[in-house]
Amino acid sequence: MTYPKIAIYAGEGASHSWLWFVELFDRMGFYDLSFLTESTLKENGLMGKNVLAMSGGDTFAIAKGLGKTGAQRIRQFIQSGGLYMGSCAGAYLPLNSSKEFLNLFNFVPAKITNLSRSLPKPLRLKDKFCTCYGCSFIFHPVRETVQVRTNGFAPFGNPGTLLAPLFGGPPMTISNPASVLATYTGFTDKTLFLVDRALAENTVLGKAAVIREKMGAGHLHLYGPHFEHPHFDRANQLLAEAMYWDTRTQDNASTAMGNPDAEVAVSGKQAENLIRAIKREISNSRIVAAGLEMHPVQWVIGDKIYDPGKIRVFLEAVWARLRYLEKANRLWMKPGQDVEVVTQTSNLTSLVRDIKRGLDQGTNTLETARTLFLELRRNCTLFLHIYFRTMIHQFGGIHEG
Amino acid sequence: MEYLASDKIAIVDLGSGDITEEELDEDLVLEKIGGAGITRFLYDRFEAEDPIVLGSGLLTGSLVPGSALSVMTAKSPLTDKVSHVPFVLDAGMEFKYSGFDYMVIKGTSEKPVYLWVHDGIADINDAGEVWGKDVWAAVDYVREFMGDDLIQVIGIGQAGESGSTLATTCVNYWQGGDRLGFGSLLGKKNLKLIGLRGMGLLEIAEPEDFVEDCAELVSAVKSGPLQGKKGIAQMAATLGAENMEDWIDPLTHRHMSCFNTPFPTNSFVFMDEDPALLEESKVEEPGFLLTDIHPLTLFKRMGLSAKDAFNVLKGCAKYGIDAAAVAELSEKAGNTSPEDIEKSLAQLKGPVDSAGNSVFSPWAWVGDQDPQAWERRQAVSYIFGIHPLFALLSSELTEAKLLDLASLGTELELTQETLDEVVAGITGK
Repeated sequence: MTYPKIAIYAGEGASHSWLWFVELFDRMGFYDLSFLTESTLKENGLMGKNVLAMSGGDTFAIAKGLGKTGAQRIRQFIQSGGLYMGSCAGAYLPLNSSKEFLNLFNFVPAKITNLSRSLPKPLRLKDKFCTCYGCSFIFHPVRETVQVRTNGFAPFGNPGTLLAPLFGGPPMTISNPASVLATYTGFTDKTLFLVDRALAENTVLGKAAVIREKMGAGHLHLYGPHFEHPHFDRANQLLAEAMYWDTRTQDNASTAMGNPDAEVAVSGKQAENLIRAIKREISNSRIVAAGLEMHPVQWVIGDKIYDPGKIRVFLEAVWARLRYLEKANRLWMKPGQDVEVVTQTSNLTSLVRDIKRGLDQGTNTLETARTLFLELRRNCTLFLHIYFRTMIHQFGGIHEG
Repeated sequence: MEYLASDKIAIVDLGSGDITEEELDEDLVLEKIGGAGITRFLYDRFEAEDPIVLGSGLLTGSLVPGSALSVMTAKSPLTDKVSHVPFVLDAGMEFKYSGFDYMVIKGTSEKPVYLWVHDGIADINDAGEVWGKDVWAAVDYVREFMGDDLIQVIGIGQAGESGSTLATTCVNYWQGGDRLGFGSLLGKKNLKLIGLRGMGLLEIAEPEDFVEDCAELVSAVKSGPLQGKKGIAQMAATLGAENMEDWIDPLTHRHMSCFNTPFPTNSFVFMDEDPALLEESKVEEPGFLLTDIHPLTLFKRMGLSAKDAFNVLKGCAKYGIDAAAVAELSEKAGNTSPEDIEKSLAQLKGPVDSAGNSVFSPWAWVGDQDPQAWERRQAVSYIFGIHPLFALLSSELTEAKLLDLASLGTELELTQETLDEVVAGITGK
């Protein structure tokens, strides 16, 4: 069995939803994961990878962060046989656009239907309702769970309906009907209408929810709804099957599932102390973060609104995996990462406590929050690197010694 | 131990700074059940190192009504017996969720320290900043430093630091269940406080049956003799204290329950503000939580006004000294002036009759009840982790029912015979 080498983008503009990809791949045993920032992607971070997973977030910030070099790298990656898997903001990114930075990523000739020159009247969630797009607006007619129908095209297989969550992702149109793997077909009792229902139906229903498009030797899979969201098993399964379908013939798919070059094993008391040190600081941080969730504060970072609840999403992604590392005989990482991860987690505790103190004293916490979310992302990716390398060594067929 | 437990015992050596962990052996639970049954076992095991042992009951922190208690076991400097004191409010529950079922604290630190117990990690931290401060300042310090207002604190004030045998371990800002001088034991170890916070979960072996049985038990308790009762004054009256409601109620602002206890056994009183105040108080230290019946009865008997008595109680809680002992010694000395009582706190010395003769803290006031039945009932509460005052007044919470729930929750066959043996082992009877 071969496993794809998957790069997950967790750089500038990415929200916390890249962690949903992590959760899905972890659950399904795709352990050969690496995490890219805008810098590492531009520095050829896609070399040797089979898949680039681009999650939700701020599309403009992602495009700007990646810039011309990043766009070229992604284009080369796909054209040479790679799979680009974009969800929500990651689906908007490669659609044709005339806007600065976004126009570097004109890979797919699809259009979005939630673009309007005149902004509809929002019914609720005004802060999450729309984004400026030149002289127009991208608006989000609905949020939460929607119904989609697969159209019977490979790799999704037989037609059928399923549920998936929509958090600002695009409804799309494309001229080639065979490119549309799934279509929005209905709303559910959990669908939250942000505009008049008739407008929502007109904008969303019957439009493409998932597109698969060929580009050179590779493909793009674009998901309007978050098929990778951990609470939607059927959607998860389809996404994974589609990924496997379009990577199964790639030459560089991983068989040994690992690249042991320049890795060191930490074991025994040293490993125990390392896990303990991480656990201590993540616990300290999550205790404060849980308390912050009672506080009515929000931070505007870039074009996105962050509330304290997002802090724990990162922390819990680490916390939930610590118990597996506790059971591992050896932890695998690059030299120096043991010290780095402890320093970083300790820094998280300081930052989150600074925010708590700032809020108690009524001072502005925006800058600290901005730094915190940056550090959360850095820390989380570093920890996950150690986790997945260890999982590969433990379960993925690398023979030690 | 898979269910209703974190499966961890921490052995904290304050002398060396070492912290080791052991698993909670299921055989030990089958033999000693939990709570005081196991803290006593651990005390005996480490007796030569003069330990203080913390432990949660088998049902602490669960849906069983009144499951608020954890226990501290050590040799009382007042009675010279290996004894048990409860800690309730939310501290008993928080200990259960902190990631350890039991914690043995042995040795003496060279310098003042505090223990920070969180999510299965126990840290020994420097207490230089907080040593010498009163209980309230210590609680504020650790909550502010750690960044969480929900941290539960078992701590001592200057009384414990000075080694007074009357020193009590407070729970957060308030007088706890320690009427046996355990505060001095922490002081001797240079241990200022234990901060507790956990975000863990408890697994239940048979969750559906367990939840259903708990719900039935709550219904039965709520329609029993405690129906409609609220606050410490009514609890005291139920136990035989006279005219307590008239004395306390005019200053009562609100009542407060311990974790998952269907009846609020504590009352919050206002001394300097209108007790009818509905908006948030602007006073820096508003009011005081009454948690202990006995000193109330003593101060009332001495002729103090409720307001004066509550102010003395507040002073005792800040200084970390047992208010019932203060009342007893002040009465014996003929000192009935609240100002003079507060000034005398540092000079007061035991022994005191109010410490009683039992292995259990006399905090769950016996009133006019049968002392032997009282002791048995307390033993059972301390084993399972049930708020003792609530258990004493809720006959619906039978031993058979608690055994059933413990078995449902853990999948272990726990019998009345085992319970009898454990009770006998704890009480020596």
